Amino acid sequence: MILQADNLTKTFGGLAALKGVSFGIEEGEILGLIGPNGAGKTTLFNVISGFFRPDEGRVVFAGETVSHLKAHNLCLSGLVRTFQVVKPFGNLTALQNVMVGSFLRTADPDLARERALEVMDLVGLLECQDKAAKNLTTSDRKRLEVARALATRPRLLLLDEVMAGLNPTELVQMLEILKRIRDQGVTLLVIEHIMAVIMNISERILVLHHGEKIAEGAPKEVAGDKRVIDAYLGEEYLLA
Amino acid sequence: MSSVRSRSMLCSSISVRSLGVLAAIAVVAAALAFLVHDKFYLHVLIMMLLYAAASSAWNIVGGYAGQLSLGHAAFFGIGAYTSTLLFKDLGFSPWVGMLIGATLAAVVAGAIGYPSFRLRGPFFTLVTIAFAEVLRIVTLYAHDLTQGSMGISVPFRPALRNFVFRGLSNYAYVALAFLVITVLVSLWIENSRLGYYLAALREDEDAAHALGINTTRYKLVAVLVSAFFTAMAGTFYAQYIFFIEPFATFSLDFSVLLAMMAIIGGIGTVWGPVAGAFLVTPLQEVLRAKLGGELQGLDLVVYGAVLIVVVILLPQGIVPSIAAWGKRAFGQREPRPASLKGDP
Repeated sequence: MILQADNLTKTFGGLAALKGVSFGIEEGEILGLIGPNGAGKTTLFNVISGFFRPDEGRVVFAGETVSHLKAHNLCLSGLVRTFQVVKPFGNLTALQNVMVGSFLRTADPDLARERALEVMDLVGLLECQDKAAKNLTTSDRKRLEVARALATRPRLLLLDEVMAGLNPTELVQMLEILKRIRDQGVTLLVIEHIMAVIMNISERILVLHHGEKIAEGAPKEVAGDKRVIDAYLGEEYLLA
Repeated sequence: MSSVRSRSMLCSSISVRSLGVLAAIAVVAAALAFLVHDKFYLHVLIMMLLYAAASSAWNIVGGYAGQLSLGHAAFFGIGAYTSTLLFKDLGFSPWVGMLIGATLAAVVAGAIGYPSFRLRGPFFTLVTIAFAEVLRIVTLYAHDLTQGSMGISVPFRPALRNFVFRGLSNYAYVALAFLVITVLVSLWIENSRLGYYLAALREDEDAAHALGINTTRYKLVAVLVSAFFTAMAGTFYAQYIFFIEPFATFSLDFSVLLAMMAIIGGIGTVWGPVAGAFLVTPLQEVLRAKLGGELQGLDLVVYGAVLIVVVILLPQGIVPSIAAWGKRAFGQREPRPASLKGDP
């Protein structure tokens, strides 16, 4: 287990965004995270990645309890996340954006640039390296978000809807990118709404609804689960 | 990859072009200091160099880190008062006093930065304004130490050790040296991890945090360095003007002026504060000399009007606007934007 979440609970005012969620991720797997809007997926990301502190429960990463750590410390120990609404450093070039990520492991600008270029090659951003990030297309911004996180050399990468807003061609490219990242030995936790995508790449899927885990298992099992169909997939997905 | 790599080697460290610009400024300024004998114009030159250095120092936290300070007069005043009191009362060389004052200013900057950087929003700006005002009032009332509103005169004992010179041109050389140091520091920051991290947290603090940047710590580093060099400028001011008093040294006007020069020239760039100071200082000094006596406040009206025109025509600042214009005029032959501002 690279990550183990025990009984995570987080409330905002009276609203329970997470209610006793427990799950684990094996090293090297791709775990999909699905659920209706407002199910608590992004809150779960925020708690795991150190942006929120859980009210109850704990997160164990690579054998150490990390629920009290801040995001920048977690990043250093190898757990990094992307944002659903991408947050490029708009006035910096794409290359400079990715270099900010690679500077985590080196203070040498030459080395940081070299590593940034390797990652940009992997996600197919080399041609855009000198463009200001704010001038990139939606698809390239999503790639940039992934590249920047990847440049920090994570062991576990949390991706929050990196496929949203991509056209079918770009989707296929992004799928390839994620598989290549996995093949490099990085574990992935992926939030996604596009079922075809999540079914395709995930080894296992976790389903959240109203802040609770309602199912966990292989894609086929989860897709056939009565509660998942009622809460999220709907009858149409079964028929299709 | 290999072609990409060889290219990356070229623009890795501080660019030769930047060092060339700095050398050119230094040569011209030194030549002017040597050749000009008119006291007024020498004074304008000295103030240009001093303001350029101080505004560059402001730019480290205000520009690169994007944390707007409107209280840098506090650090300036700490530098001026520390070295002057140590010199006058204890006989310390102002050069030593300058370093002590700069260190003190950095400590103070850390003390006001640490709590306010943990918050988001305008708190840092408000705290800097309030702190400079408080210091001014404290200086005013600590009469035994500071002589309050009577101010302190720096004893005129010309000697290199005393940081007191007979010829004005010597002050110009020292101010030029200060400017060269602050520009070199800015260039180093811009090309180092620190510069990238400051730019990242300025652009998006959450994203910076997620990429492993301890944003509070880096903002602190920026304000410490910025306060240190601003305080050095304060010591220079005291040694050059020979008189300090609370209203002039801790004034909000001065704090705003430093920020304004950087903004007009191009905030968060190496040359922005320099260009801003080189434009605004002569304008201010010449207008005051030529128009100040005619009709009270006329110089300020013209000054304000010129600034408004500059801001309307070049909203991004002088340096980025010229860089963008050069890029359009000469196509893509320009190298990668040297500054972390990226493409406009």
